[in-house]
Amino acid sequence: MVTSRHEGSPLCKRGNRGDLLFALRRGRRWRKVIASGIFMTDRKHLAILGEIVLVVVISAAAGLFWNRTLLLGAWQGELTPSAQAAQQGEQGDPLPMPIGLAQVKELHDGKQAVIVDARSAASFAEGHIAGALSLPLEQVRKDSAATLKAKVPATATIIAYCNGFSCHDSMDLGKLLMRAGYGSVYVYEGGFPEWRDAGYPTATGRT
Amino acid sequence: MKGDSSYLDSRCLSVAVRVVLGGIFIYAAILKIADPVAFAGSVAAYRILPYFANYLVAAVLPFLELICGCLLVTGYRVRTGTLIVLAMNLVFIVALTSALARGLDIDCGCFKQGGEKTSPWVALGRDLVLLAMTIFVLKTERSSRQPQSKPEPAVVPYPEEP
Repeated sequence: MVTSRHEGSPLCKRGNRGDLLFALRRGRRWRKVIASGIFMTDRKHLAILGEIVLVVVISAAAGLFWNRTLLLGAWQGELTPSAQAAQQGEQGDPLPMPIGLAQVKELHDGKQAVIVDARSAASFAEGHIAGALSLPLEQVRKDSAATLKAKVPATATIIAYCNGFSCHDSMDLGKLLMRAGYGSVYVYEGGFPEWRDAGYPTATGRT
Repeated sequence: MKGDSSYLDSRCLSVAVRVVLGGIFIYAAILKIADPVAFAGSVAAYRILPYFANYLVAAVLPFLELICGCLLVTGYRVRTGTLIVLAMNLVFIVALTSALARGLDIDCGCFKQGGEKTSPWVALGRDLVLLAMTIFVLKTERSSRQPQSKPEPAVVPYPEEP
């Protein structure tokens, strides 16, 4: 009679880690080894794990299909629908144009535009696009056009940004600048989060 | 008899908690599906994920909540739905704790997007209640799956042959 030398040892108890070692030594199929070793569980638990994976996959498929246009737009750096609605909402107001990350980087590197930060001075100090100028929306609302033009030349190409797509301060600032007489104003909707996450140069402090 | 009624009471309570929990998740999911851009903004406000991942989470998470909510309300594959809800609650709690630790004064983005701001403290308290409800459903569901001790069948005398 052939018996295993492992029989009777504590490692051979079912359901503990010894089962894995025993299975490995006996050369069981790898799937069984993983099932018994990693999950330490039976077929019922594996079925629940399978169901969880299935639910997650179905949710992902439904979510991706339902929001396919939005996701494609976000991937290509286009304006989100809410920002487009904000652009079209005002009656007869001059509207700034949207601009994507790649164009902002190009203008930034070529020093062809003045990049303005519409967030508060405190947020600007915590972190901003390198070389940007702090123009908090609340401050600009109080300033006269002359004060504004003392800070930014009237002929400059301006790119306004704030805290990403959830923030509309850059759009509001862009409108204010156009009303004040600036002709070439763009809004970078991805804002500081997208710039920072792309690994592009940032700076801290008040200037 | 007393034991039977207490078993029925706990069973009713379990079903009620499960349906309420599922209903909350369905409600939250519908509000988020209705405005994915605003929800992406709420996710981005946590400053945890990179730019595009915020959109991805905003696209997928509400549907996961919806399906799990439906599983809980209908009572179909309760254990699967409850385990996913448990994992989601833990993720929400970690995200809120991280926001609080970093001093972020943001809207939790849990239900209506862009409405009145719900502070992370309130949201954290609410998530802990939801977590307790989830654990309760998981435990009661598990115990209800265990075989109950069946009562002895009544002995019916076999009718005698005439």
